[in-house]
Amino acid sequence: MRAYILTRLLSLIPVLIIVAVIVFFLIHLTPGDPAAIMLGPQATPEEVERLREQLGLNLPLHEQFFNWFFGLFRGDLGWSISHNKPVLTAFIEHLGPTISLSILAQAISMILAIPLGIIAAKRRGTRVDQTFMVLVMLGMAIPSFLMGLLLMQLFGVKLQWFPVAGYEPLSAGLWDHLKFMILPATALGIIQTAVIARMTRSSMLDVFSANYIKTAYAKGVKESIVVYKHALRNAAIPILTVLGEAFGTLIAGAVVTETVFNLPGIGQLVINAIEKRDYAVIQGTILLAAASYLLVNLIVDLLYGVVDPRVRLSRKS
Amino acid sequence: MKIKSMYLFMFVLALALVAAGCSGDSPSEDSSEPASAEESESAGNGEESAQSGGTLNIAYEAQPNTLDPTVTTAGATKDMARQIYEALLTLNENWEVTPQLAESYEVSENGKIYIFKLRQGIKFHNGDEMTADDVVASMEKWTDNSSLTQSILNGAEWKKVDDYTVELHLEKPSALVPFSLADQNQLAAIMPQEVAESAGPIGATEYIGTGPFKFVEWKQDQYIHFTRFEDYQPVSEPASGLAGEKLALVDDVYWHIVPDESTRNAGLISGQYDVVVGVSYDAIEQIENTQGLSVDIYPYGFQMLVFNKKQGLFSDVKARQAVNYALDKEMVLRSSFGDERFYTLEPSLFRPEQTDWYSDAGKELYNPKDLDKAKQLLEETGYNGEEIIILTSRDYAYQYNAAVATQQLLQEIGINAKLDVYDWGTLLELRSAPEVWDIFFTGWDTSVIPHQYGFLDSKAEWPGWTNSPKIDGLLSDIESAESQEEAKALYAQLQQELWEYLPIINVGTYSKINGISEKVKGFRDFIGPVVWNVSVEE
Repeated sequence: MRAYILTRLLSLIPVLIIVAVIVFFLIHLTPGDPAAIMLGPQATPEEVERLREQLGLNLPLHEQFFNWFFGLFRGDLGWSISHNKPVLTAFIEHLGPTISLSILAQAISMILAIPLGIIAAKRRGTRVDQTFMVLVMLGMAIPSFLMGLLLMQLFGVKLQWFPVAGYEPLSAGLWDHLKFMILPATALGIIQTAVIARMTRSSMLDVFSANYIKTAYAKGVKESIVVYKHALRNAAIPILTVLGEAFGTLIAGAVVTETVFNLPGIGQLVINAIEKRDYAVIQGTILLAAASYLLVNLIVDLLYGVVDPRVRLSRKS
Repeated sequence: MKIKSMYLFMFVLALALVAAGCSGDSPSEDSSEPASAEESESAGNGEESAQSGGTLNIAYEAQPNTLDPTVTTAGATKDMARQIYEALLTLNENWEVTPQLAESYEVSENGKIYIFKLRQGIKFHNGDEMTADDVVASMEKWTDNSSLTQSILNGAEWKKVDDYTVELHLEKPSALVPFSLADQNQLAAIMPQEVAESAGPIGATEYIGTGPFKFVEWKQDQYIHFTRFEDYQPVSEPASGLAGEKLALVDDVYWHIVPDESTRNAGLISGQYDVVVGVSYDAIEQIENTQGLSVDIYPYGFQMLVFNKKQGLFSDVKARQAVNYALDKEMVLRSSFGDERFYTLEPSLFRPEQTDWYSDAGKELYNPKDLDKAKQLLEETGYNGEEIIILTSRDYAYQYNAAVATQQLLQEIGINAKLDVYDWGTLLELRSAPEVWDIFFTGWDTSVIPHQYGFLDSKAEWPGWTNSPKIDGLLSDIESAESQEEAKALYAQLQQELWEYLPIINVGTYSKINGISEKVKGFRDFIGPVVWNVSVEE
């Protein structure tokens, strides 16, 4: 098992190197000059040039690349010119809201989606099934920023149950933290609900038609035990896969949601960095986001073994 | 057997949630409820007891890179840093130079030495008294960094005479020195000597000034927190512009960084923010129609059409004049800003209240609207229908709208105009390449002296590449003028030449909008939001 994890971890390295190279050149080939943006529209070319020199932007591209690339191996992701601190520090400072948002959104979507999917599967073809699935499609069709704005208008502006924007870390108290997170997490979670509910439904349908379920019913096993113990467990692998992938889309969705609700997370960090052409931050963040996505997928793969003993057995053989 | 494993997954999630919360910003020492009871009490005992207290929550559109105003002209730095820092001189409501940390100043007969008498007993936020050493160190740092000083203060030296007297020695006399010391765009901020001397090229990292509010905490992408400076020593003259009495009437000021406009407005309507800086022209109705909210429309700058004078059609002055005759300024302004409340037809680069500079010279050429004359001038240039590129960006809706209106007006006189639309960052880079564009739009905020308008000066090489020996000569004459009257008369000539040579077309002046809750009293804008003499009713 340990060897397996180690091999998987090592296999991440070439992927990350490729990501690093692509990200660097993609960003540097995009037009826009960080110095010109920092100094604003009234700056003269001379002032811009002076700042370019101070920031090391006048070096040849390959030199800039190697400086950055070899820095990576020392754990140095570069220096953020807009935050005036190391990229890693800026990243860590912005990590809390994004992780909290992603986990809460994931939790909300799971709490909603799995029961919804199971009920829809059990009542396949009935009105309940159709209504649920229409609702799910609707949730999928609404873009996350629109969902965010709608929730904000209703619960923030009209009812004033929650603040419309801002952030408090968990250390300020659980409720203080949650009251800022509930609306954005719901906005993001509802969209995920759609994907996960559909997958749960179809996966459960597959399992329901299997012979061992019929046998269980024939033996007179209680319905709830058939559904939750026999069926859900066997349907869990595809659901887990979707959950893993959903985490990736969550990070992408978080960019939009964080902007709408003004959460100081990774999404905000990247958006600001792109506007300011803060190259080091864009590169570092995308690299770290890619790494965490790969890690989440690794964890999902390992969870297959926890959920399904056959996966463990086949690995041993 | 193991429904446990599903629970295990949920448990891991829950654990990670806790970890996530903890991995956020380190817990702030001061509570999230800003005004502590103690602070309110002590404020209550002070002389401002009637109006003191409370918190002012401002939603602002951008995060500054630094709060040190001496190293950047960025608007976000300017707006926030002025609470912390003060300069020797400042501007009153007529944009006239008025002493601030200086008690008074005089000029030697040959105009080469400025003598500043400092106010005594002024405390920095760290408790130390401000003396000539701090002023000299701060002014040297500012002189090194300021883009304005490159020409006006070139070779200037700051000298301490005694603890409360400082002299500025110039290589050549200039009536513009006081303006540059009072300018807000790159404030000549006074800070303690040790802070000024240890600051790197990207600015001081310790924010210590003499202003009515002191810096408390900066949470990246969330807010910047300032609190009342109890030892602040206001002057006794009535408040005017940025001069006169400045009182910190609230205990705390939070500048929330909220880039998304709809979020800012929603926060104002729900009561989370007291003031919203930067309401867009089409959102004003929503604010105006909400009970308990009002808007403040304040003059900001002018909108201008910039010509590429280095190559292409508009290197010929006749082609630029043709555009000026074709361009219906009112139509362009209305397309940009929508409502008459937000713009004024105005030929000057200065505002009427700027009595030191304002002139209406060139007004006969400002909005002539004569399509026949335009066509005739265009014909004289020998233009044969080649494509004319208008560079624009949707990031600033008013600029984009102006570009669309201009494209139409140019097509009416037979110019084959095409829009090239980019994001703002790309536009800033492309505009420095003369081969890719002919026209672009931008806004410019009203300045204190003509020399800050980079598009006038050939040496500045500002995109558009003005090359007018006459304008250059006038700029240089203004710089060495012996009195303000002389400088003002020379500027009037310059403005006339501006409308003849047309390095740019000044379309007109425009305003910006702040949204304000009725709980807030005394909030106004003067070259940025003014947060002193502002109170908040709880």
